[in-house]
Amino acid sequence: MRRPVLRSLVGGAAGIAIGVLGGMGLTSVSAAGPTSVEASPMLVDATHVPPVLTLRGEPVRLRFGLVCTPRDDGLPCEGSGTVFVRRGQDGPFRPFALRRGDESKDGRYYLDVPPDIAESQVGFSYYAVLKDDETGASVSVPSGGADAPQVSVPLHDPVAVPLGAHAFGAVREPDAHAVDAPWGSGGGDVGLKGSPDLGYTGPSSFDVEPDGTVDLLDSVNERVVRWLHGRHEQVLLGAGSAELADFAAEPNGNFDVLDLHDTLRRYRADGTQEWAQKLADRTWAKLDRGAAVLQEPSEEWMPVAGPATPLTRTQQRRAAQPAKQLANGHGLLVDRVGDGELRVAELRGGGQIRSWRITSETPLGEVQLAESHGNGIVVVTRVYTDGRDEFVVLVLGGRGLVQRFSVASGSWTETAPLARFRFARGVLYRLRTTQSGASVDRFDLEVPQ
Amino acid sequence: MRSFIALLVAGFALSGVPGAQAYHRFWAGCNYDAPTFMTTMTRDAAQDYANAARYEGYQWGGGCWNYDDVDSYPNDPPQVAGTHGEGGDCSGLTFKTWRESTDTWRDGRYYWHALRNVHGPYDAAAFRDGTGAPNHTVAKATAGVMDAFASATHIGMVFVRSLYGGDQIVEAKCEACGTNIFYRTYRGDSAYGGVGRWGWTG
Repeated sequence: MRRPVLRSLVGGAAGIAIGVLGGMGLTSVSAAGPTSVEASPMLVDATHVPPVLTLRGEPVRLRFGLVCTPRDDGLPCEGSGTVFVRRGQDGPFRPFALRRGDESKDGRYYLDVPPDIAESQVGFSYYAVLKDDETGASVSVPSGGADAPQVSVPLHDPVAVPLGAHAFGAVREPDAHAVDAPWGSGGGDVGLKGSPDLGYTGPSSFDVEPDGTVDLLDSVNERVVRWLHGRHEQVLLGAGSAELADFAAEPNGNFDVLDLHDTLRRYRADGTQEWAQKLADRTWAKLDRGAAVLQEPSEEWMPVAGPATPLTRTQQRRAAQPAKQLANGHGLLVDRVGDGELRVAELRGGGQIRSWRITSETPLGEVQLAESHGNGIVVVTRVYTDGRDEFVVLVLGGRGLVQRFSVASGSWTETAPLARFRFARGVLYRLRTTQSGASVDRFDLEVPQ
Repeated sequence: MRSFIALLVAGFALSGVPGAQAYHRFWAGCNYDAPTFMTTMTRDAAQDYANAARYEGYQWGGGCWNYDDVDSYPNDPPQVAGTHGEGGDCSGLTFKTWRESTDTWRDGRYYWHALRNVHGPYDAAAFRDGTGAPNHTVAKATAGVMDAFASATHIGMVFVRSLYGGDQIVEAKCEACGTNIFYRTYRGDSAYGGVGRWGWTG
C-alpha cells in the first residue's frame, strides 16, 4: 500500500473543510430570511386557579390568564372569553362573558359568579373558553371542557383545625429506617449527579408496595432499586429518562414513570417498557397509582391508562376528575387558599361526607400527600417562612385533629415535586437525602376511629 | 487535487446532515441587535414571552433561541458557555423576560427579541440577593405571576400558582430538562428566596 504523500493529505483536509463550510454557508443563505427562523407558531394557553372549596356566603371570582404568541410591540394580547357555568354537576351550562381587567397578577380575565349560582348548596361546575382575538386561536380550561368541567363546592360545616404559629425545630425523628443507601452505582447504592454550581439530583421518587417492599427510582443509574427485609435487587429500566420523574409501583408488579417531558411510561416487572403515552395537558404535579396524574392547567386528576392500554389525550381529558380517588373509594378535594389556609373535603358519590378547614399563622406551602387513613385523612403539608421550612403531618378525624407532628424537610438533592412522602399499610414513609446517601424513613401514625 | 475534489464533495454531504443544518440555521439567526426601550411591561406579556421559549432548549450562560419548539443543539456539555447551544439558562431567561438592561444601574424596560443573544449580568445568586436596580427581594408568600424564586444555583419564574400549594414555574432548568413549565415547590423550600422586578405596569 502506498503511503499518502503530504500534498494529498493537505488537499483532502482542505477539501473537506471548504466543503463543510461552503455547504453550511449555502444552507444559512437559503434559510436565514427574517421570518423563517424566528417566526412564532400560533400559541394559545390559559392559566386558572379554581376555587374548588369555598365558604358559605363567600363571593366567588373566577380569574383566568390568557397566554398568546408574544407580540413584537411587547404588549399582551387582546383576548376575550366565556365561562360556561351551571348549578351543581348536571344540566345545561349558562354562558357568561369574561371581563378584561387592568391587572394581570392574578389573571387579567375574570367573572364574578352570580350569587344565585355561587351560593348554591351543591356548588357549581364550569369551564371556560378563552380566545386570542388577533389570531382567533382558542383554549378551553379545564381542557376537557363540558365533558369534564371543574367544580366549586361550599364546605358543609367544616371541622376547624387552627394550627397557630408554627414552632420550628421540634421535629419528630423517624420510628425506623426502611432504606439506607450510600451514593454510588453498586447493587445497594443510589446514584448522585450534579455539581455545586448546578445543584444535585438523586433518587427522584419512590413507592411502597403492599408487602412492604420499598422501590426507589434511582434516576441517575436508570433503574429501580427494591428493598425488602434488608435485601435489595435492581430492575434496569429499558427506555426513557427518569431525571426528576415521578414514580408509582402498580399492584401487579409493573412500574409507572412520569418524566420531565410529560410522558408516562409503563414498565413491566423486568424493566422492559410496555407502552409510553403523552399527557393531555402541558404539565403535571403528581403521579398516583392506577396511572392517575394531576395535570395542569386543568388542575384535575386524569387517568392516563385503562386496565391494559394507554388512553389517548382526548380520552384523558374526557375522563378527568377534580377529586383525587382515595384508597377507601371516596374522593378528596384539596384547596390551598391564600397564605395559610388549607381546605379539604371528602366525597362519596359526589356528596360531601365531611370537611376540614385548616388555618395557620405561618404560611403553608404545598400539600405533599393526602390519603385516607382509618376513619380519617392523613395530610402532609409544608410550613415555611422566608428562611425556614418543615413538613407538618396532620391526621384528621371526624371531630378534629387526631395527631400532629413536624418532620424535617431538608434534602441534599432535588426530587419530583410531590414525591417526598408515601402512605402505605397505615405507615407514612419519607424520602430524604444527605451528603452521604439516601434514606426512606418510617413514621407510625395513630389511627382515627 | 483528486483527493481535494473527492473530500470537497464529502464535505458538502456532511453539511447536509439534518442536525448540522438545524444547528447552523439556528445559530446563524442569533444577533446582537440593540434592545427596544419600552414604557410598559405587563405580567401577562412576560408570560407570553417566557411561554414561547418552551421546548427551545437550555444553554449554560446562553440567551438566544428561536420559536420552532425544538432544541436545535441538544445534549451540549453542561457548564460550558460558548458552545452556541440554543436556549437561555435560568438567569438568562429571567433577564430577558424581565426586560432588563445589561447595565445593572438601569431600571428601565428593554425588550430583547428571542434571537438576540444576551444573557445579562446576573446569575441566580445575584437575582436571589436582589442585585441590580430593577430587582428586589419579595416575601415568598406574596410572590405572584412572573415574580421568581431563586437559590444559589437556580431561578425560576412563577407562571401561575397552583391548587395543591405549589407553583407552575417557567424555567430553563437543565440540559436534559430544557426550558419548560414545571410544577415546583420552590415557594416553601428554604433554599429559595423570593425575587421581584420593579416596574410592572399591569
